[in-house]
Amino acid sequence: MKPEKINRIALVLLSAAALGLPLVVRSATYLHILVLLYFYAYLTTCWNLVGGFAGVLPLGHAAFVGIGAYTSTILSLQYGVSPWLGMIVGGLLAAGVGILIGLPTFKLRGAYFALATIAFSEGLRVMVENIDRLGPFTINGPRGLQIPPLDTGLTNFMFAGKEPYYYSILVMLAGVLFLTYRISRSKLGYALNAGGEEPEAAMALGIDVARTKLIAMALSSFLTALAGTFYAQFTLYIHPKSIISLDLSFEIAFIALIGGRGSIAGPVLGALLLRPVSDFSRIYFGDTLPGMHLIIFGVVLILVMNFQPRGLQEPLTRLYQKVVNRLFHWGALEAAR
Amino acid sequence: MIYMIEDTINGILMGSIYGLTALGLTIIFGVLKVINFAHGSLLMVGMYAAYWAVALTGLHPYLTLVLVVPVMFVFGYYLQDIVIQPIFRAEKNVREPITVIIVTTGVWYILDNLTLLVFGPHYRTIQVNPLRGRMLEIGGLMISVPKLWGFVSAMVAAAAVYVFLQRTRMGRAIRATSLDRDAASLMGINPYKVYNVAFGIGTATAGIAAVTLVPFYNVFPTVGVLFDIKGFIIVVLGGLGSIGGAILGGIIIGLIESVGPQFMTATWTEAIVYGLFLLVLFVKPAGLFGVKYDW
Repeated sequence: MKPEKINRIALVLLSAAALGLPLVVRSATYLHILVLLYFYAYLTTCWNLVGGFAGVLPLGHAAFVGIGAYTSTILSLQYGVSPWLGMIVGGLLAAGVGILIGLPTFKLRGAYFALATIAFSEGLRVMVENIDRLGPFTINGPRGLQIPPLDTGLTNFMFAGKEPYYYSILVMLAGVLFLTYRISRSKLGYALNAGGEEPEAAMALGIDVARTKLIAMALSSFLTALAGTFYAQFTLYIHPKSIISLDLSFEIAFIALIGGRGSIAGPVLGALLLRPVSDFSRIYFGDTLPGMHLIIFGVVLILVMNFQPRGLQEPLTRLYQKVVNRLFHWGALEAAR
Repeated sequence: MIYMIEDTINGILMGSIYGLTALGLTIIFGVLKVINFAHGSLLMVGMYAAYWAVALTGLHPYLTLVLVVPVMFVFGYYLQDIVIQPIFRAEKNVREPITVIIVTTGVWYILDNLTLLVFGPHYRTIQVNPLRGRMLEIGGLMISVPKLWGFVSAMVAAAAVYVFLQRTRMGRAIRATSLDRDAASLMGINPYKVYNVAFGIGTATAGIAAVTLVPFYNVFPTVGVLFDIKGFIIVVLGGLGSIGGAILGGIIIGLIESVGPQFMTATWTEAIVYGLFLLVLFVKPAGLFGVKYDW
């Protein structure tokens, strides 16, 4: 068997496993945890478009989640617009905001961009907390918005069970992974990588570094906002402190960095490794050892940055390659015999 | 009118304390070219140190300076030496390594949550406090005495750091490293040693800020986060790496926070601060008083 064929079989097996998982996992709690795991993997993959490929450090992606969630929820609650349509509107709004943040800061040194994203996200949270009505829209300040679970169904993006949500976020995750894969092999992907690693050299090659970063930022914020709508429809309740929170922004960045930024598998791997840690330590140590999972995150982060600055995907990818090569040689030997 | 003057004075005093909390941030950025996300947590550690020093020995709160400042210097020195330096060595060729920023974030999470684990989420205030609620009355104006001392210590600390950087041999080495790390190391300066010292000084100034805050501020595990975000805003307003800018930036924030509520709901002042920050970032990223270079 050729390595490419083995890769393809592994991918098919993985997809089959992901599709079949809800048939095995019947508990609503575990399904909920899985949905959130995919949600984080999705967010981190979006983050990776800027934070990984473009080589800057965005620390306010929760703002885009919030924009997506609030836009679609306000439109559907107060104007009867389907959340699917609201999702797109929220995405476009977020892309505009992403460009607005990136426009002045991508020309500056890296620290400024990180600080600007934090300040924007915190500023947005304070605004939302203080505004009850914005023109014709009810925002409801710190009380947040509740979506009454009345009309379930595909057009309303609202379901009675957890399984439909599981498949929605799985499709979204698969889509964004495919998109990342295509981008990483496109001219834009190479330009982003070059601009992130060596901006001067990239500019000398005629790459408009700031422009490619802006495109990545717009794409990333658009896709992140889509997940915001998903989150609102999944939990049916959004309020500024939980959705536009620095903790969410930082958790996304942590998952990406521990998994391996700038790689396609890294974000998913990071979510697979870290989400269970935070879920289970919250379930088992939540009362006795508060904040335990954040200590673990911090320690793991420092260790990974020290020993595997490219993230945990690097050694794991190497291991996988080794196994594939073994299989290939073994297959060749069998054939020769 | 009298309230207006009182608010203005109060804003300047509190603002200078904000500036003092951000002083270390600007020193560390100036030399290491890295935003220290753990700075608020270091302030929090200093506040706990001062709190326990007062609670256990019954010292006058300001006398804990002799204890807290050296302890914080050593803490910062070895934090940089043991935790952060290896990453710097690994990314020698990158001017502003992102991985280092991330490691300071890890330090932040560890320190805050360890404190939560050990001391619990309670708000603590020192019990034996000769400064509690002390007011100075000048011609009908009421001025908080601990905040006045905070103002004085902010000015003294900023001046002391400035003189240290300008007049001493180590200060010159720090400035040289800040300007050009490679050229400095060709002159026989060990840049990693300089980083340790700069980080130690930054942490020590956070210790001074902590001691001046403890007499009138609650101590709790996430107290640092409040000052962290404020600190980032202050240093960008004043110009990253500028010592005078940090104090002036702090005073601007303090003034907005204390005079603002005269004109709007108090919570809106926070939004104004973020708005001003983004405006400065977009229009004049070098900061209001920033130098073109980092020092």
